[in-house]
Amino acid sequence: MILSAYSPQAAEAEIPALSATPLDVVALLAQSHHPGAGAVVLFSGEVRNNNLGQDVDYLEYEAHEMMAANMIKEIINDAHAKWPLKIAVAQHRTGKVAIGETAVIVITSSAHRGEAYEANQYIIHRIKHEALIWKCEYFTDGSKKWGGNCSCCTPEQEA
Amino acid sequence: MKIQVFAVLKDHFDKEFELSEDIKDIASLKNYLSHQNAEADGILQISRFAVHNEFVNLDYAIKQNDTICIFPPSSGG
Repeated sequence: MILSAYSPQAAEAEIPALSATPLDVVALLAQSHHPGAGAVVLFSGEVRNNNLGQDVDYLEYEAHEMMAANMIKEIINDAHAKWPLKIAVAQHRTGKVAIGETAVIVITSSAHRGEAYEANQYIIHRIKHEALIWKCEYFTDGSKKWGGNCSCCTPEQEA
Repeated sequence: MKIQVFAVLKDHFDKEFELSEDIKDIASLKNYLSHQNAEADGILQISRFAVHNEFVNLDYAIKQNDTICIFPPSSGG
């Protein structure tokens, strides 16, 4: 990396907020280092093999792609305004996502860990509640269910 | 007007359909669709609406050539 040409903001802007193909967690992390950041927090939301007592086969995510991407960018901008972040990126899957795969990733980098953790929580919370993205759970018994609320809304359900 | 629905609403309506009825605003559209399909009433009541990629309120005056998107609550992550 040539430091004089390094522009975290440009790198952030180039990362698409939605992806129809598997998220490259390692590549996204590699783009999230910053010479002024002593803390990098990475959240990977992954597909669990069970929900509310049912065995999950896979998930499928639908999005209003243009609006969802714009909303994620806005959420990132809001996080930048609230915390002194060096880098903040988020990317969410669309389409079919297998058990153990990453459905959403949020990375925040800052001078110290406090703001990186707080901003990361803020970003994932808003993405889950506001962005125009919907999950459909497909169970091993052949049934399916469009996603309801997350763990913040229904305590028995884990995010 | 053209209507596009997303996610669970596709279990109740075609993904895309046209309405020629004279429906003046989003609140009226919501009522109309709830009457058409009572099972979808609960989800329609908590859905968001958008025209031309912008959210609109219940008092938005629908124009004849509008495409109206109806979004159930988000469930990403």
